Amino acid sequence: MQTISVALKREKNIIHLTYKDIVMIKKEMIYRNPLVKLGYDNEDILSTGGFGAVLAYAGVGKTALLVQLALNMMLREHSVLHVSLNDAVSKVDLWYQEIFHDIAEKFGIAEVNEYWDKIQPYRFIMTFKVEGFSAPKLEERLTDLMEQNIFKPHTVIIDGFRFDEAGRGQLVQLKELAGKYSMGLWFTVHTHRHEPPQENGLPLSFLHIADLFEVIVQLATKGDEVYITSVKGQPKNSAQNDLLLDPATMLIKESQ
Amino acid sequence: MKIDDQKIRNIGISAHIDSGKTTLTERILYYTKRIHAIHDVKGKDGVGATMDSMDLEKERGITIASAATYCEWKGHEVNIIDTPGHVDFTIEVERSLRVLDGAILVLCAVGGVQSQSITVDRQMKRYRVPCIAFINKCDRSGANPFRVISQLKSKLGHNAVAMQIPIGLENDVQGVVDLVSMKALYFDGDNGETVREAEIPSHLLEEAKAKREELIDAASMFSDELTEAILEEKEVSADLIYSALRKGTLQREITPVYLGSAYKNKGVQPMLDGVTYLLPCPSDIENVAIDMDKNEETVVLNNDTEKPIVALVFKLEDGQYGQLTYIRVYQGTLAKGSTIVNVRTGKKVKVGRLVRMHADQMEDVESLRAGYIGALFGIECSSGDTFTSPDVNLTMISMYVPKPVISLAIVPKDNKSQVAMAKALNRFAKEDPTFKTYVDHETGDTIIEGMGELHLDIYVERMRREYGADVSTGNPRVAYRETITQRADFNYTHKKQTGGAGQFGRVAGYLEPIADTDFVFENKIFGGAIPSQYIAACEKGFKQSMAKGPKLEFPVTGVKVVINDGASHAVDSSDMAFQAAARGAFKEAYLRAKPVIHEPIMKVVVETPAEFQGSVMGLLNQRRGMIIGSQDEDVMCVIEAQVPLAEMFGFSTVLRSATQGKAQFTMEFTLYRQVPQSIAEKIALEAAQNKKTAA
Repeated sequence: MQTISVALKREKNIIHLTYKDIVMIKKEMIYRNPLVKLGYDNEDILSTGGFGAVLAYAGVGKTALLVQLALNMMLREHSVLHVSLNDAVSKVDLWYQEIFHDIAEKFGIAEVNEYWDKIQPYRFIMTFKVEGFSAPKLEERLTDLMEQNIFKPHTVIIDGFRFDEAGRGQLVQLKELAGKYSMGLWFTVHTHRHEPPQENGLPLSFLHIADLFEVIVQLATKGDEVYITSVKGQPKNSAQNDLLLDPATMLIKESQ
Repeated sequence: MKIDDQKIRNIGISAHIDSGKTTLTERILYYTKRIHAIHDVKGKDGVGATMDSMDLEKERGITIASAATYCEWKGHEVNIIDTPGHVDFTIEVERSLRVLDGAILVLCAVGGVQSQSITVDRQMKRYRVPCIAFINKCDRSGANPFRVISQLKSKLGHNAVAMQIPIGLENDVQGVVDLVSMKALYFDGDNGETVREAEIPSHLLEEAKAKREELIDAASMFSDELTEAILEEKEVSADLIYSALRKGTLQREITPVYLGSAYKNKGVQPMLDGVTYLLPCPSDIENVAIDMDKNEETVVLNNDTEKPIVALVFKLEDGQYGQLTYIRVYQGTLAKGSTIVNVRTGKKVKVGRLVRMHADQMEDVESLRAGYIGALFGIECSSGDTFTSPDVNLTMISMYVPKPVISLAIVPKDNKSQVAMAKALNRFAKEDPTFKTYVDHETGDTIIEGMGELHLDIYVERMRREYGADVSTGNPRVAYRETITQRADFNYTHKKQTGGAGQFGRVAGYLEPIADTDFVFENKIFGGAIPSQYIAACEKGFKQSMAKGPKLEFPVTGVKVVINDGASHAVDSSDMAFQAAARGAFKEAYLRAKPVIHEPIMKVVVETPAEFQGSVMGLLNQRRGMIIGSQDEDVMCVIEAQVPLAEMFGFSTVLRSATQGKAQFTMEFTLYRQVPQSIAEKIALEAAQNKKTAA
């Protein structure tokens, strides 16, 4: 990273980005994929049709982590459909812009807006009311987009899905959808403080559907710090290190 | 003035187009006895509502210019600015919000929070205008005020709290239950002018109690006294509730919501009570100005009538008796005969006739004190100018003015029209800072520029109607820009030494792209290769070149010019020679700096029934639109996209036919972005053709 910022800063305050530079930055940013550092060997982490989950209490940083994952996909020119069941389109968009700007700032990239314009077409935001969301509805919307060649997602992020209310049936339907359209699906899972984790680290209310998930990671606060721990799907021979999130920016901490 | 500061309210009525704000204003004026008959917006009687004083507004049923008016309600003086609802006129909305202390956000009980309401709300946030909401059209079929309240919370982030519950909805709308006094209010008489208090109908009592609890709960956040009263289970007085709600409203932490149907004469008077109880008086709001004598330091203005005058011009209008200048006084007292200075021009003027406006009628007054809105006659100024007493040099912070994104050529049919057109353009440009006009020297055409198709359309219509200028218009043109993408060196010598006075100048250096600014010039010459007296001429030469790019003759932006070498001649060098050298150098380097064209991109928000979502997305996609996202809301769906302005002409017609007229859209400028290669070629071809035609 150091070399890039030096190479780019040819003159005071002026940075000329050539195609080569952009390729280099992309590479650099791809390496920042927040979860690869946990030891997953596949860049996409999920296999086609697979489910991934990020578990945490409210306000710990589930959305921020998945937005980083999405940005990583977008940088690799993979399309991401972000489905939010909590927030308005403008708020989700703001999440992406803020985190992208934070990452770009960390990397000393000056022409952020230009670069953002290049990756933004790889993202599509859909928001639903929680009660109005269902697998058939998502499929209907997806078909609208795909039939007209507007957007075909490689990865779908579903933020705000109510696991406690939806039941296994809905997830099975979504799993079929993921397989049918060859997509990976990431979910945020809101856990509750009153529900102590079981032996395998998962909350009791999640156990009956845990088998549907290929990868599960958990965010937890210890003191002032936020740790990311792999709960499921981490390759056996990988280092069992936790990652640390910077609570100010929600980005992975440099020292890690 | 007869009334103290605490009893003045300067309010605006802001809302989505067609949510009925002009009708609401009309009713307010009727109940405050400013008018004695009610006319509808698109009235059958051919009179039209009082606030829509321009013929065109009456015809189209929309409010274009914000007419200011004042009225009295229960011992309070209320100045009302009626603001336009269409996004193309947002400069009017912004100007109104700048001078207001509070606002009524009018929402439609059926349509709820629509995209334009979001824009208006954002503007209110920018100027920190406290507001109350009025959910209108409760008589319409499908009216659901509580859905609108929940949209206020979810879409606009307001802490909205109902002040009333409806007694009957749709065809059955009868009145409201006031949750503070716990009384049912009915509106009797031919025009609902008599408010009758009665007991709450028994079937609504439980609901009213529950909603009152919610209201008091929300209000208690702003008053310890109220919280205490609740905890101690004491009687909660109306004054206590209002004072807590007022505190929250002024901080923009709570939005009290009133209900009714202006058209059916229901619920307007309680809302007016709300204006007096809950919205701020001038001294509740802190207004600041910039001190030009003290390095542009900000100064907090004092609502004191004895202090030096500071007043802001927020609107000009050409009336029957000459130019009418709408003004808000922020400090001091503006009296007939006093001398004031226009801070922008430095010109001193004596205040002649002072009036207070009531739509297109007026009332003469002797003076306007701090906090008041009124109008001056016969004063030469532009909209946004500040007037002060001669002993201070303060200016109100300039308002944010977006740059125009669309232009149109207009040609007068005859000489008479030409004169009328010139007069009209001069007036419009003064009234509206987003409206610009100039003459294209190559084609000789008069060009008008503005914020959207409708914006220009309205001005062309006004030219025809108000000024009798018969003009024809060309096709709308998009304001493209050129910029460079890489560094390029230049070393150019301008030399004419063949008889007569010679010309010689050499400039060397480079051009490079720069973000966020139009033009930067840097002189890195050491040792006098170009004598210092010619450096300014070099800069001027480069700057001149920026007006018309060598690629396609669009204005150039985002260029940094650095000169680091050059040469001069003791006799033949001159300012002119160096200007010519700079122009030559720019031309030489420009094409090597890989110039590209940028086009304005609009943020387009379409609201459509969910069944048309797919086809609307298809329409946007066909127009090179990038869809940011879609938001599902019950039966409706909101699609947000970024679409090049060039592709948006005629979109409303296409959208209407694709959605059986059930979808609507708003658009506003968002950014400039590079045009894709294939389109750039098309633009180049068109530009070449235009040039040929002009020649």
